[in-house]
Amino acid sequence: MRPLGKAASDDDRPLIERVRKGDQDAVRALYERYFDRIYNYVYARLGRAEDAEDLAIDTMTRGLTRLDLFQDQGVAFSSWIYRIAHNATIDHYRRHGKVSLVSLEHAPALESADPSELAVEQMSNEDLHAAIRDLTDEQQQVLILRFFQDLTAAQVASIMGKSVGAVQALQHRALGSLERALQGRAVN
Amino acid sequence: MTPEVERLERLAERLRTVDPYIPPPGAKIRGWNLVLAAVEQSNTARSGVHPIRRLVLASVAAGVLLVAGAVAASADSLPDSIFYPLKGVLENTRGALTFGASDQLAYHLDLARTRLTEAQAMFARHRVDLADQALSGLDDQLNDAALVIQAEKQSDPAVGAAMENRLRQAIATHDAQLAGLQGQVTNPTALNAIMQARDRAAQALQTAARNGKGNGNPGTSPNGSGLGNGTANSPHPTPKH
Repeated sequence: MRPLGKAASDDDRPLIERVRKGDQDAVRALYERYFDRIYNYVYARLGRAEDAEDLAIDTMTRGLTRLDLFQDQGVAFSSWIYRIAHNATIDHYRRHGKVSLVSLEHAPALESADPSELAVEQMSNEDLHAAIRDLTDEQQQVLILRFFQDLTAAQVASIMGKSVGAVQALQHRALGSLERALQGRAVN
Repeated sequence: MTPEVERLERLAERLRTVDPYIPPPGAKIRGWNLVLAAVEQSNTARSGVHPIRRLVLASVAAGVLLVAGAVAASADSLPDSIFYPLKGVLENTRGALTFGASDQLAYHLDLARTRLTEAQAMFARHRVDLADQALSGLDDQLNDAALVIQAEKQSDPAVGAAMENRLRQAIATHDAQLAGLQGQVTNPTALNAIMQARDRAAQALQTAARNGKGNGNPGTSPNGSGLGNGTANSPHPTPKH
């Protein structure tokens, strides 16, 4: 897996102070630090490169021009920028429509597909991405942030405004739902 | 570890190996250009204005809006409105900025019409005291108009005569309205105020006719009813109480 780079938190503070003073290099540093991550997050959510590009740029623009608002949020810049990206994604769904998803959390496993026989190692990345996009909004968010973005449960909790325990429980349910979604795809 | 947990662990591990989507270089450059432009614009907008100065500017803007709102509200206000005094101030300001006899006449006739409208509204609301004040205002405006005409007649009799005709027509219109009003009210005080206003209008016309006789017909009422011949020949004598 190619690394996306370090997801900074406390390290961002000096850079943010410099951005506030009009330091263009600091703006560039923050942009470089987060653009790929945000692009990756949005792409994983939407599945379309063109939309991901626009939304990632929009997210970075909002984040770097509204630092006065960030000060009031009381969270790390990394959490804040992901929240902006998440909200941009939701706005995108609202504008362009999205099929309402039914949670697979309590869906029965298909009889013809044995979970133990599901060869996840052999599944393509695209299949995994597509199956994730079948999950609920929160389940998608937690799986993408935890496994594609490689964030800690604490960081995800900060982004989603939940406790660490709640994120861990959500992650467990999301993996279960993803397994069922993959079984469904394997059968079809 | 249960089989389910093992499976989910395997699935989690598989997710960790998924290659991330990497933005094309062109997208990143385009994004940077847009972000940079937005940041520079944002800095420019913010840098020039200190927070305290921004507060002061906001207060001034709010004040201007408040005053503008009050002025707008006062423009059509009636004597029983809290904005009415402001209307007087605005009218005086407008008068101070009106130059030339013709414009001054138009100004006084306009205010006379306004006072009459106010009086009608106050009668309708049974505010006889305020209606009486409005009719006094009507009288003042007509007198001022008559003085403007007098002065103009001395410098240019022809123009003065034309202005006198304008006054005559205006007073005829007012008189017709006052006559209509007179037929509607029953309150003796109101009745008295209306008839006095009609008499004073006739006197104003006589004042305008003085020192010039520009139209050659100073004693004739605009509507042929004798208006303009003074109180002695008034068509609407003061009632007997």
